[in-house]
Amino acid sequence: MKTGVYFCKCGTNIADKIDAVKIRESLLRQDPGIHFSTVDFMCSEEGKEAVAKDLAENRVERVVISACSPRDHETTFMRVLSKAGLNPYLMQMVNVREQIAWVTEDSGRATDKADRYIRAAVRRVQLHDALQKKEIDICPDVLVIGAGPAGLKAALSIAGSGRKVVLVEKSPVIGGLPVRFEELFPTMECGPCMLEPLLGDVLHGEYAENIELLTMAEVTGVVGSYGNFAAKISQRPRFVDMQVCIGCAECIEPCPVSAKNTFNSGMNDRKAISFPFAGALPNAPFVDEKLCIALQGGECRKCREACPVEGAIIFDDSAKVFERNIGAIIVAVGSDLYDCTKLPQLGYGKLDNIHTSMEFERIMASNGPTDGEIRTTAGNAPASVAIIHCVGSLDPKHKEYCSGVCCQYAFKFNHLIEKKLPGTRVCHFYKELVIPGKDEFGLYHQARSNPQATFVRYDDIQNLSVAGGAEGTIIQYQDNSGKSGSVKADMVILCPAVVPAEDSGRLGTVLEAGQDRAGFFEELHGRLDSAQSKIRGVFLAGTCQSPMDIQKAMNQGMAASGYILSGLVAGRKLEIQPVNAEVDARRCSGCRVCVAVCPYTAISFDPEKKVAVVNDVLCQGCGTCVAACPSAAIKGNHYTNAEILAEIEEVLK
Amino acid sequence: MADKPKLSMYWAAACGGCEIALVNLNEKILDVDAAFDFMFCPCLLDTKKKDIEALPDGAIAITLFNGAIRTAENEEMACLLRKKSQTLIAFGSCSAEGCIPGLANFHTRDDLMKAVYLDNATIDNPGNIIPRPETEVAEGTLQLPAFYDRVRTLAQVTDVDFFIPGCPPEPHQIWNVVSAVIAGAPLPPKGGVLGAGRSAVCEECDRKKEDKKIAKLFRTYELVPGKEACLLEQGLICMGIATRDGCGALCPKVNMPCTGCYGPPEGVLDQGAKMVAALGSIIDIGDTKGLAEEEIFRRIDAVFGSIPDYAGMFYKYSLPGSILKGRIS
Ligand SMILES: Cc1cc2nc3c(=O)[nH]c(=O)nc-3n(C[C@H](O)[C@H](O)[C@H](O)COP(=O)(O)OP(=O)(O)OC[C@H]3O[C@@H](n4cnc5c(N)ncnc54)[C@H](O)[C@@H]3O)c2cc1C
Ligand code: SF4
Ligand code: SF4
Ligand code: SF4
Repeated sequence: MKTGVYFCKCGTNIADKIDAVKIRESLLRQDPGIHFSTVDFMCSEEGKEAVAKDLAENRVERVVISACSPRDHETTFMRVLSKAGLNPYLMQMVNVREQIAWVTEDSGRATDKADRYIRAAVRRVQLHDALQKKEIDICPDVLVIGAGPAGLKAALSIAGSGRKVVLVEKSPVIGGLPVRFEELFPTMECGPCMLEPLLGDVLHGEYAENIELLTMAEVTGVVGSYGNFAAKISQRPRFVDMQVCIGCAECIEPCPVSAKNTFNSGMNDRKAISFPFAGALPNAPFVDEKLCIALQGGECRKCREACPVEGAIIFDDSAKVFERNIGAIIVAVGSDLYDCTKLPQLGYGKLDNIHTSMEFERIMASNGPTDGEIRTTAGNAPASVAIIHCVGSLDPKHKEYCSGVCCQYAFKFNHLIEKKLPGTRVCHFYKELVIPGKDEFGLYHQARSNPQATFVRYDDIQNLSVAGGAEGTIIQYQDNSGKSGSVKADMVILCPAVVPAEDSGRLGTVLEAGQDRAGFFEELHGRLDSAQSKIRGVFLAGTCQSPMDIQKAMNQGMAASGYILSGLVAGRKLEIQPVNAEVDARRCSGCRVCVAVCPYTAISFDPEKKVAVVNDVLCQGCGTCVAACPSAAIKGNHYTNAEILAEIEEVLK
Repeated sequence: MADKPKLSMYWAAACGGCEIALVNLNEKILDVDAAFDFMFCPCLLDTKKKDIEALPDGAIAITLFNGAIRTAENEEMACLLRKKSQTLIAFGSCSAEGCIPGLANFHTRDDLMKAVYLDNATIDNPGNIIPRPETEVAEGTLQLPAFYDRVRTLAQVTDVDFFIPGCPPEPHQIWNVVSAVIAGAPLPPKGGVLGAGRSAVCEECDRKKEDKKIAKLFRTYELVPGKEACLLEQGLICMGIATRDGCGALCPKVNMPCTGCYGPPEGVLDQGAKMVAALGSIIDIGDTKGLAEEEIFRRIDAVFGSIPDYAGMFYKYSLPGSILKGRIS
């Protein structure tokens, strides 16, 4: 087997340290048939051409490239091989520049080291298999789960490229959290107004036809892998036909049943048929099956009688199951807030006038339970408000991370209180203040210069306690200098830690996408690939991955769609790289050691044949299972035992 | 009788269990006798070394060589039988991989002599006498075979045709090999394993296997394992995952974890290392993201700390034949 060794001098970078003549002599001693050739700059156009020509002229069958880091130029030289008609995997690259010339002082030792590495590569490359890339057909359509800012942005950009998007939203409304906020930090834009164009585009914009919106729906099953997933989506009945309903709201008033409105954190009532809140989109009410008299078998038909259009309210609507084929999935299910009753000393759920930030957002919203009026339970405007930051955040006993948005919305609250109720005292209790970004300082400075605002820094939330009494609500505290004090507040707002959405665990199981210690969807890489999960083809956007503000959520929605638009192109096949793992069924004992070790869940167990199976679309060739398999049943292509041992043996000779 | 092919069996550093396994063929031993001229077996027959030396080279059809190479005599007999046999089979774990005698490779020869002849509580040796290859006495020089510093496998001293693993090989597997040879069935290429499978013990084990994650290990005396689930999943270190099949999973069948006597499965170079790699892959130490390195080490130790003797556990049968081979001096 004729092996060619191409030695790049890299100008003086390599040639100054490593003696090519000596290397050549040593190689010819190892095997007189070796073809050795030096090149000045192998990665230059002339260099590549020279190698390609030499390969053909000398009928070289295996190639060793002695040059720089494979990270720089492995693919460059693999292409040279392909051009010369050789299988590109019949090449082994030796990094004599970074690993030898640049780090080994003595040139004699550098040459000896290079000699060993190159001889090892020669031994190894002779064992290489001519691996072939596989290609599979793909479906370019996308499933987006969650219609908050992140999911909407992603859905729109993908639909805009002409692809089909299935947008699945659990609640009856789209827009996520911010459509419930009157104003948004940092620039105090109106939340619903800012999002309206986005929501409008999804519902009836230029590319709306490409988006299939399924509200009150959830993804209950996913099979397949990147390029070819099949998803099962279950939809609860809305009992209102969204195509027929004109959104006039005539049906609401006549409904005789009412219950707490969960969309306003239970602070007011809604009817059995209702809109979550005024202006909610899609502009059609939904019926709560458990409340509705008709759906519980009663006689009432009041809403239908009031409805001006025929067929909008359908009592015999039923749950539906949809099956959709898609090539990629974006998870954008957002987040929830930490349960404040886990910090009982703060009085939440026991004392009046203690609200979470979410409740306070609804109190301030003009379409909220109080029409935007800030009032205590007694109906008065509060003279003093305490805002407690970092509730459960940065706290090893609760959530160890910083939730990132609380300080900023707390200063937004400060601003709105000052605006709506001038002269109200506001006291901020905080552990840390976090306000990064180029615009975010504005509200902070405003709060600092509010003459009615005071700031108390605490070390541990255990040092704060809220008590009710005859004179009102009192907050006892010990600040971070050890000083104790108390503050009276007519209203207390808690800023709870941002936590993973209620059933992201279940969804994670359906998608086989892992969660981190805190329960957020785990990214492939925190810096390089935070919009990608470890499962190929499952992407992440928004606060389901980590707490973040709307700007970042939107950006991540775009990032996720960017991956899909560039990686999954209609008409183009998906390339499957051949450096992956393969199970030899005859050797596999079915012990199931390997199944759980794969970080990309590429391994499954075939219960019929009782052997492990690697899905080569998902396999990234990391080799974890190869090392784990105790019966050597898994082969790591391009990193076989024989290849690695030959290399080690020669280096140590 | 002279026209029957000759069969011999020899023991080197071994316990004798391999001979018992052969005898455990029970009445089938008569079939062996009918097909072969069973002419050499120091444990059962009275043939002497000089009788073997007198044979022409290649006169013996098959030699089953059990026992590891511990002494110069072991080596001498191995080479002699190699020369006189057409087919030399490393029979049993000692000969194939070194087995229990091979665990001595964790110590030097001097340590071993000291432990056995000087420090041993049950020995009375006022003269501190340690056996030596040559001892001068009034009558002349007494000789003993040299005791090597290391235990080696048969293949490490001479050319071996086939391997039959097991401590000892299971009688039904011995019979499989013998009957195949009698029937003239094709044998695998030279160097292959006979009388065993290609995979691991789990293949033959009926216990229910799940995706493995193990949070706590137990020693056998600490736990009465459930009858259904895989023993390893219950926290007993069962070497079955990294041990060649062929025994019929006898130990796990009776609630005892496999200790690895059939040696590495096909393609595995180092049984102990494979077992360690597999265990390391499946221990459950919780989510380690963001944890300090010390804490991760602490959690790993908490799982593996309960194993009293790593080497004895993972290399019980395979040390001389492994990549490690023994203590690095
Ligand atoms: C009190 C408060 C005030 C804030 N104020 C501001 C502000 O002023 N400015 C700012 O930039 N940021 C603010 N934020 C942060 C902002 O809310 C988030 O950045 C933003 O909501 C993230 O968008 P998202 O799409 O990731 O998630 P979300 O907005 O949470 O949307 C997720 C969507 O997914 C749906 N969903 C959940 N589970 C499922 C499921 N299993 N299947 C299908 N659908 C599902 C939900 O119903 C929801 O519609 C604030 C946050 C809080 C808590
Ligand atoms: S670890 Fe190896 S032997 Fe065990 S199931 Fe996986 S492939 Fe099969
Ligand atoms: S090589 Fe890595 S990615 Fe591929 S199946 Fe094995 S563990 Fe999974
Ligand atoms: S008990 Fe042992 S042999 Fe049986 S399946 Fe479990 S690991 Fe394998």
